Amino acid sequence: MRNLIFSKGRIGSRFKLVLKLSIYFVLVCISFIYLEPIFRIISMTFMSGKDVIDPSIEWLPKNPSTDNLKVAADVLKLKSSLFNSIWFSALMAFAQTVVSALTGFAFSRYNFKFKKLWFVMLLVAFILPVPLLMIPRLMIFISGQTILGFNLIGTPIPQILMALSGQGVYSTVLILIFYNFFNLIPFSLDEAAMIDGANPLQVFYQIVVKISFSTVLVVFLFSFVWNWNETYVTGTLVRNSIELLPAKLNLFDSAFETYASAVKSSAQFKINEGYKMAATLISITPLLILYGFVQKQFIQGIENTGITGE
Amino acid sequence: MKKNQIDNKNVSTPKKGAKRRKMKTFEQRQNRFGYLFMLPWIIGFVIFTAIPFIATIYLSFTEVKQTVMGFEIKFIGINNYTMAFFENVEFVPALLDFIGMVIPYAFVIVIVSFILAFLLNRIVFLKGFLRTIYFLPVIIMSGPVMYQLLDSGSSPEQGEAVRQFTDIFILQMIDSYSPALADIMVSVFSELSTILWFTGIPIVLFINGLQKINPSLYEAAQIDSANSWQILWKITIPIIKPIALVVTIFTIAQLGTFETNPVYGLIKKATENTSGGLGVASTYAWIYSLIVLVIIGLAFLLFRESKKVRRHVI
Repeated sequence: MRNLIFSKGRIGSRFKLVLKLSIYFVLVCISFIYLEPIFRIISMTFMSGKDVIDPSIEWLPKNPSTDNLKVAADVLKLKSSLFNSIWFSALMAFAQTVVSALTGFAFSRYNFKFKKLWFVMLLVAFILPVPLLMIPRLMIFISGQTILGFNLIGTPIPQILMALSGQGVYSTVLILIFYNFFNLIPFSLDEAAMIDGANPLQVFYQIVVKISFSTVLVVFLFSFVWNWNETYVTGTLVRNSIELLPAKLNLFDSAFETYASAVKSSAQFKINEGYKMAATLISITPLLILYGFVQKQFIQGIENTGITGE
Repeated sequence: MKKNQIDNKNVSTPKKGAKRRKMKTFEQRQNRFGYLFMLPWIIGFVIFTAIPFIATIYLSFTEVKQTVMGFEIKFIGINNYTMAFFENVEFVPALLDFIGMVIPYAFVIVIVSFILAFLLNRIVFLKGFLRTIYFLPVIIMSGPVMYQLLDSGSSPEQGEAVRQFTDIFILQMIDSYSPALADIMVSVFSELSTILWFTGIPIVLFINGLQKINPSLYEAAQIDSANSWQILWKITIPIIKPIALVVTIFTIAQLGTFETNPVYGLIKKATENTSGGLGVASTYAWIYSLIVLVIIGLAFLLFRESKKVRRHVI
């Protein structure tokens, strides 16, 4: 009897081992599908013009060169557009973080009238597609322009206003991250501070925000990345007056042509996949570096949103 | 003001008249400070979301002209709608393209991300590393990057891929049965890595949900001699269903606001034409958004109904 159980257990464990290995096999294979586009970008970046056309070359370039990178960096005007993208995204991220923290704090700590209604509105704001709202928003800013007498379109002001009033990119998700984290902080801490005479703003900043520094960082990083990647609203409101890296990538083909006609008059200098992929690689590299440092925080941030409704 | 005084009488009778005004009930203070903290968001919501939402509906029936003095808005009835559906040759195909993209994509994304989360939840070694890889696209995915990738994939390789897939026997069978279904399957397979790039956040949400399931439920089922297949269908999936709903809505919203979809380009083109195109653009945007909202509503109904049926059976 005992022997039977023992042998059964061994078969079971062997079966489990096979199962585990096959799970690993599937997961690792799928991770290659995820990374395939990135590998393709990297391999094509280092291909010369001949290698791109050559059908016998799939991944490894025959004559690796960094020419593509240099040309792409020139076409993208890397120095200024990288700098612009960084300060633009950081500014938006800062504004969004402040407002999201305030709103998350209100939802977590206070019972005001129509709280549930506002919460539903928060979710509605997420579901409504951006193009639906963009046209009247554009009209508001254009009319504002004529009333105020100076340009709003083409400056970051409209987007800062939107970020400062919690209507930026994925603001709802950022607010929910704060809301759920603030709910985990014991209310007795607030009460203790209030007894010591702190006003609500002091409770908010000195107690709650200072405890949740890691969450503030996560929200800032998410907002930074999303603002970096956002091109529709930026394209409508800022247009081309501030050169941002993703927007430059969007117009890479035409920018390349003007560059090519300005630098080299020869007809050989034509756009190919190598240049395009080099430009793509350049535009994602800052984000990849950022992700390399703080990937754990990113994933935990999404885990903490609690938008799965518990 | 009157109300304050009445409340103060109920609470206490302060001695100084100056202080009486400051004293408020707990409820009133909650109300006041709650709204104080909410203020920026509420202002923003009203100006940048609620008013534009209503304005777009109105604008879709008008012709908007930008003049030096501001906007000249002329009511023209349903002209924009007839224009969009019957005169413009680009709009309806783009819309159909979009619907044909969103529904299969959302379906595949939800199922694949559930399976991956389920498998990831079973392993310990390398779990964090694999999760990091699956989440990576969330960080780098943007309209231009996707555009470049799709563009580079589409020229020689995609045609090849389609041919490769149509060589597969099962797909040929499906093709003879229903060409539309086969088309959808070929597009899903040939753009698999693009589709998978949308699964980053859903996987994390599913893993989070799976980890929160009480292990004693599984033990109880095992004692009642349920096998792992039964446990999956009778315990895991019913519990995970609300999360699947959230993931579906999130995915549709994400696909709907993503810039590579064909309708976006049309709306953008019409928006840039500020001299007369804003009315048309808002018509496009409104029809498009209505369809996105209807699809989200359908997803909601789908998950809701199955819940009801389950309750009925029990």
